[in-house]
Amino acid sequence: MKARISELLDGELESREAAGPLDALRSEGEARDTWRSYHLIGDAMRDTRDARMLSPGFSARVAARLAQEPTVMAPVRRAATPQRQRWQFLSAAASVAAVALVGWVAFAPQQSGTEVAQGVPAQQIPAVAAQVAPPATADDYLYAHQGQSPRNSLQGVAPYVRTVSGKAVAPKR
Amino acid sequence: MVRALGFTLLLCCGLGQGLAQVQAQADSTSAEGLALLRKIYQATEKLSYTGTFVYQQGERTETSRITRLAGPGGEIERVEVLDGMPREIIRTHDTVRCYLPESQTVKVERRTDSRAFPAMLPERVSDLARNYVITRGETVRIAGFDCEAVVLTPKDELRYGYKLWADVNTGMLLKARIFNAKGETIEQFSFVQLAMGSVPRERVKTRHAARNWRVEDAAVTPANLGRAGWSVGAELPGYRKIIEVTRKLGEARPAGQMVYSDGLSAVSVFIEPLAGRAEAVRPGPSSLGAFQIYTREVANHVVTVVGEAPPASVQRIAAGVEFRKPR
Repeated sequence: MKARISELLDGELESREAAGPLDALRSEGEARDTWRSYHLIGDAMRDTRDARMLSPGFSARVAARLAQEPTVMAPVRRAATPQRQRWQFLSAAASVAAVALVGWVAFAPQQSGTEVAQGVPAQQIPAVAAQVAPPATADDYLYAHQGQSPRNSLQGVAPYVRTVSGKAVAPKR
Repeated sequence: MVRALGFTLLLCCGLGQGLAQVQAQADSTSAEGLALLRKIYQATEKLSYTGTFVYQQGERTETSRITRLAGPGGEIERVEVLDGMPREIIRTHDTVRCYLPESQTVKVERRTDSRAFPAMLPERVSDLARNYVITRGETVRIAGFDCEAVVLTPKDELRYGYKLWADVNTGMLLKARIFNAKGETIEQFSFVQLAMGSVPRERVKTRHAARNWRVEDAAVTPANLGRAGWSVGAELPGYRKIIEVTRKLGEARPAGQMVYSDGLSAVSVFIEPLAGRAEAVRPGPSSLGAFQIYTREVANHVVTVVGEAPPASVQRIAAGVEFRKPR
């Protein structure tokens, strides 16, 4: 059905052939979701210069939601009907599509900084996600990371100076 | 239609961008560039020296003294930060010790397996050409040495660029600049004074007796976190997993660590149990100095991704971390 909807969207179906997909679109469901997603993807593709359709935090919010979503592969507690399983598969596919879209939306403007072709001024680029304060124990992570960093082969022990900041910690005993 | 879109996406963002960047560089990896880079890696392994360098990152400027002793007994390196909070780091082939006199703490990280610390072997340097265009730069004078430059321009947006200046005669790295896609400096190391040649052994010894100091032992142990159910679903192009260990963080917090790297750019994934944690988890991206951080919660664990890589790379690796109950 997805393929038919795609063809319908591209105007590739004869009126007789279009009857099936159109019927499916009359009721709320996966066909209609597919229709919406394809439109969204199409809009994003065609309308890169004018980001009106995407509010500033759009990609960040989608990314955050995706991050919070349970893994699709995780065991489902309720006995799943065949239809439900198919829906999960489709939603996984939709997630992939959404990730591709988010990825593209998020990275494309940065690339345009060096490429004139897309013509998006750097200052219009939405932030990838809102910044938070670094973890209180951030130094521990930096130091632990440095120990395994390939930069040590290039620069020896010098890069370690980056990993312990000036914050003095009172001795705990 | 979706497939067509996919292709268009690839063309627009992948190929087109790649080509544009390569063309902008008007060059491809050159034999001279690779040769110089190899020479730098070899010099880092072999030379003895003592000197002073300045580290610059944003508003921060810090001076440090560094000494390296290479010899039959194995190499020893010592760096002492001269500005701000005193700290001293000493590295031998299998142990790193970090002395923090103000908190009377010494952090110890030992390799438990036979391998030394992960090293980029000079003969593997050409592997870097998969992700970077490596070219020769101009010749300039730094700290009294005539230096030649090599530039590593990333082929995509998933890593920073590097410009390295090395002494014409020895290959000793005198200056390193890391830059982002806009060409802005992320951080820079630059020697202001350097003397190569034999170094007295005294110069690589700590000046702290460290008696009765608190010892934080990282207890780094090779591990298979995948068997415990952890994985990074969608790995980043050009990055592969180079290290997988369990360890202690800070005073004694148990954690798993996986490191992904392209040989130069590197991202660590830390996984810690949420239980018994004093600090509230602040999910989202943050940065500290030249490092990018991304924090999230997965299956009752805190996942902290730390990288010397662009924010998008760190965020993408963080988003790929998943837990599946092992069968």
